Amino acid sequence: MFSERAYHWCIQALGWGGIIFLVFPVFLTALVSFNGSFFIEIPPSSYSLEWYANIAKIHKIGEATLVSAGIAGLAALLVTVLATATAMAIVRYPFPAKAAVTAFLLSPVAVPIVAIGIALVQFFIALDIAFTWYSLLIGHMVLVAAYPVRTIVASMTLYNPSIEEAAASLGANRWITFWTVTLPQLKPGLISGFLFAFLISFDNYPISIFLVRGGLTTMPIEVFNYISQNLDPTPAAFSTIYILIVSVVIIFVERRYKVISLSLGR
Amino acid sequence: MADSGPSIAASRSVARPSAGIALHRYLPATLLLAPILAFLLAFYVIPFGVMLGESMSAWSNDPPEVQETTPTLYQYEKTWQRSRTSKAIVRTFRISLISVALTFLLSYPITLMMLRVGARLRSGILLLTFISLAASLIVRNYSWLVVLADQGLINNVLVGLGIFPRPQRLTYNEWAIIVALVHYCMPFMILPIYGALLRIPGSLWEAPRTLGAGSWTALRTVILPLSMPGVFGGTTLCFAVCASAFVTPLMLGSPSTAMVSQVAAEQLLVQLNFSWGSAIIFTLTTLTFLLVFVYALIVRRILKIDV
Repeated sequence: MFSERAYHWCIQALGWGGIIFLVFPVFLTALVSFNGSFFIEIPPSSYSLEWYANIAKIHKIGEATLVSAGIAGLAALLVTVLATATAMAIVRYPFPAKAAVTAFLLSPVAVPIVAIGIALVQFFIALDIAFTWYSLLIGHMVLVAAYPVRTIVASMTLYNPSIEEAAASLGANRWITFWTVTLPQLKPGLISGFLFAFLISFDNYPISIFLVRGGLTTMPIEVFNYISQNLDPTPAAFSTIYILIVSVVIIFVERRYKVISLSLGR
Repeated sequence: MADSGPSIAASRSVARPSAGIALHRYLPATLLLAPILAFLLAFYVIPFGVMLGESMSAWSNDPPEVQETTPTLYQYEKTWQRSRTSKAIVRTFRISLISVALTFLLSYPITLMMLRVGARLRSGILLLTFISLAASLIVRNYSWLVVLADQGLINNVLVGLGIFPRPQRLTYNEWAIIVALVHYCMPFMILPIYGALLRIPGSLWEAPRTLGAGSWTALRTVILPLSMPGVFGGTTLCFAVCASAFVTPLMLGSPSTAMVSQVAAEQLLVQLNFSWGSAIIFTLTTLTFLLVFVYALIVRRILKIDV
């Protein structure tokens, strides 16, 4: 028979154990990034900043990062606009087979990502627009389209439509109401949707690998290739910088817009 | 067909609801949904149709009798008959189920613990979970290459404790893939379960206690069933993520631990066999959806839990 004490102790131990499992690989990677030796050693036998300088030696890293940022930024912006209209329809207006249509709109998340890549590359080859910047952009839009729909729907259901009615009764027309009342209230949903779409696109490998050829390349592809061809800790330095930037952005956005509550489900 | 007040009245007064009323009623939603539906039709539905067609065609190196009988199910038969693909399918589902189970076992106590700690600590843990969710998959997989490296932490601890005389190769096997997948999936599990736990009213946490039940009984009989919507959401998402894993087995596995996405990609990118590659990935997609469907059915019908 388990006692109450054992229960509390168990929850605490398992819970903190889980948290440690979640964070310790990242801390070890940061430690290894300052390693002086060519091989991965824990604990490092000497320290240096050499691997941070070596990031520049990853093949085409600057160009690839710019391509990834451009694709991720534009894909995230376009799907956030599409998703705002979509979320309005789902939350505010009636339409037939609503549950089925919503499930369809969210389905790209559950489809194997490689399937999206394989389907699109054949389609683009048939249309003769394969391996271009535009086809890569479209592929990433399909990949990320569902994320802002989710977050904007979540922020719309939290939101109070009577404020819009108040604006209308004070003489604001539909557009003014939308721009000055509706959009500002949806900000947490819009921002977390955009952010997630951006990060998922920026980090994507399985779709890009099918849609790029020749000179076109993305950051995850180059970093992946470096990791598979080299054993030195340069990717650890890259990872540390990546995690730091993402952490700063997420902490800032969470402080300002309280976006995490939108990911906790209905 | 009408589902709310005014149009029920309309359909009663007129024998059949007129097309005009339906059009007017659905016009705003139609206009708002048109762009995304058009986009997904063009770049999601049609490409999947093209891929389905390709999976029923023959590749130039396939036997002549196959070339003559298109559309054919040859590529699907081949997927089940060849040991490389059939083994990859079994392996993929084995890895996915183990990973989802482990992710659940690691994540549930975290969510219970989060409800017991102070507000600052709780928002700190939530932030950490969210940052992990946003951190790059390649970066997180790489961190496991570091942890499991020949001179990495695990090896040094094991050798230091005298469990192994010399470092072992811990990467490039199925368990390395599972550990990395569990790590990747944890935020997908923690966030919906924590959300579901938050929605359980305080009185239901107290009720079992007033009836004399201990915490273990309360967890098993009240809290766990009530958090099922979150558990279902988390496990389903994790399963989909694991079943379609591609980068993780590429980075932490070996050719002998290939998962389905890898085998399909190899057919397209290396062999240029679009037909078989399409059939392999279509088989995976169908099986994944089927399993999620059966899972939802079991949870709803047999466990009688509304998710």
